[in-house]
Amino acid sequence: MIYYFINCRSLTYAQRAKRILERAGIAAYIVRTPQSIAGSGCSHSVKVVERRFEAAMAVLREVKFPISRVYMSAGEGQYSEVLE
Amino acid sequence: MIYLDSAATTLQKPASVRKASAYAIDHLSSPGRGGYPTAAQAEEVAFSCREAAGELFHIPPERVVFTSNATHGLNIAIKSVVRPGDTVLISGYEHNAVTRPLNAIPNVKCRIVSAPLFEPELVLCKMRMQLELGVSAVVCTHVSNVFGFILPIEEIASLCREFEVPLIVDASQSAGTLPIDCNRWGASFVAMPGHKGLYGPQGTGLLLCGASVVPQTLLEGGTGSLSKSAEMPDFLPDRLEAGTHNIPGIAGLLEGIRFVSHKKTERILKHERGLGLEAAQGLSRMIGVRVFASEYFYCQSGVLSFQVYGMDCQEVAQWIAQQGIAVRAGLHCAPLAHQTAGTLEEGTVRMSVSAFNNKKEILYFLNKMQLLLHQRRKKRSEFKNNM
Repeated sequence: MIYYFINCRSLTYAQRAKRILERAGIAAYIVRTPQSIAGSGCSHSVKVVERRFEAAMAVLREVKFPISRVYMSAGEGQYSEVLE
Repeated sequence: MIYLDSAATTLQKPASVRKASAYAIDHLSSPGRGGYPTAAQAEEVAFSCREAAGELFHIPPERVVFTSNATHGLNIAIKSVVRPGDTVLISGYEHNAVTRPLNAIPNVKCRIVSAPLFEPELVLCKMRMQLELGVSAVVCTHVSNVFGFILPIEEIASLCREFEVPLIVDASQSAGTLPIDCNRWGASFVAMPGHKGLYGPQGTGLLLCGASVVPQTLLEGGTGSLSKSAEMPDFLPDRLEAGTHNIPGIAGLLEGIRFVSHKKTERILKHERGLGLEAAQGLSRMIGVRVFASEYFYCQSGVLSFQVYGMDCQEVAQWIAQQGIAVRAGLHCAPLAHQTAGTLEEGTVRMSVSAFNNKKEILYFLNKMQLLLHQRRKKRSEFKNNM
């Protein structure tokens, strides 16, 4: 299954994103950002399934939520950055 | 024991506070560090606490910073806003948690708005005059911890916005009883303890950070974010939260905030004011007692100071303690407030109530005060007869 990882600047921001998405009816999970895509060091990401990704991004953009980076993963530790 | 020292810390807490802290000690680990269930639960508790505070005080949760007490928060706020050589306006009722950090910054000139007790209009008038002369910042307590005097913070905030001067509010005695609206006030910082009117455990506090100032760090260390960087993150709350959080404290604080939100601050204030007024009226009727109270308590919270003529305030407090009643005496870490009110030499005895005190306790306290005065009169009379 394909997942998207929305990198957030901090745990608190990831928690805020999760709340925003859940209120919009989109299931979201907070994970420690995989080290290979963590960039500036440790961080947290919000993980959403592929079919809800576009809706999630639309919701976050609407509230002007600051998104660091977005990565896609089909599993097996491989991540590719999603460029807007 | 009848506890009448809630201005120092609330002793009686909702049962949920104790349960939450106890649960956290055994079941919650450090938030933002691990990816396992106990960390995730701790993260949820911390964020829920920020959310609950954000809702109560009208501020986004990421601008709610956990501190260890109000003093910690005030130090961050003052050192973020005030530079060496600045001129800062303060009220005449500030606590040492404000005056000492200001004093520690080189060449800061403090202008004190010295208005008499319970004269909020005069405070405003003098503040305006001082603001017109030009200042770098205003630091103001919402409620005097010695006298319970409620300063007109809404209007002060409005003046600060008008003159474009950053405002730091010490909400140590008002959080949980008076409305605090960070959004409306436009304050740069509002500092508060978690362990007084918010009924959380000691060792907790909140610093509400307005959008206008980038806070300076007091501590640098691990934040669980941007860890490759040698500098503290430039975003909140991480910038001001280095090190491991006090999760048992935060868990308890969350329950305390929920208690206050459920009860409603207006109801808590009405209850506390009612008890304070009862005490003030009772003490005022006693010969030999000087009470510092506003008429009908209109600009006063549930904090009341008094003196017994000819008796050291510490002796009064000690005698009251022997009757099973806890009050505080002395200068209450606020010599400036005493200086303004003219009580610096003698100090005062202070009683302060919480949502958990009741009328019966106040009446018991007043009865004991009557007994004290009666015993003093008897002793004096015996002394005179023996001469």
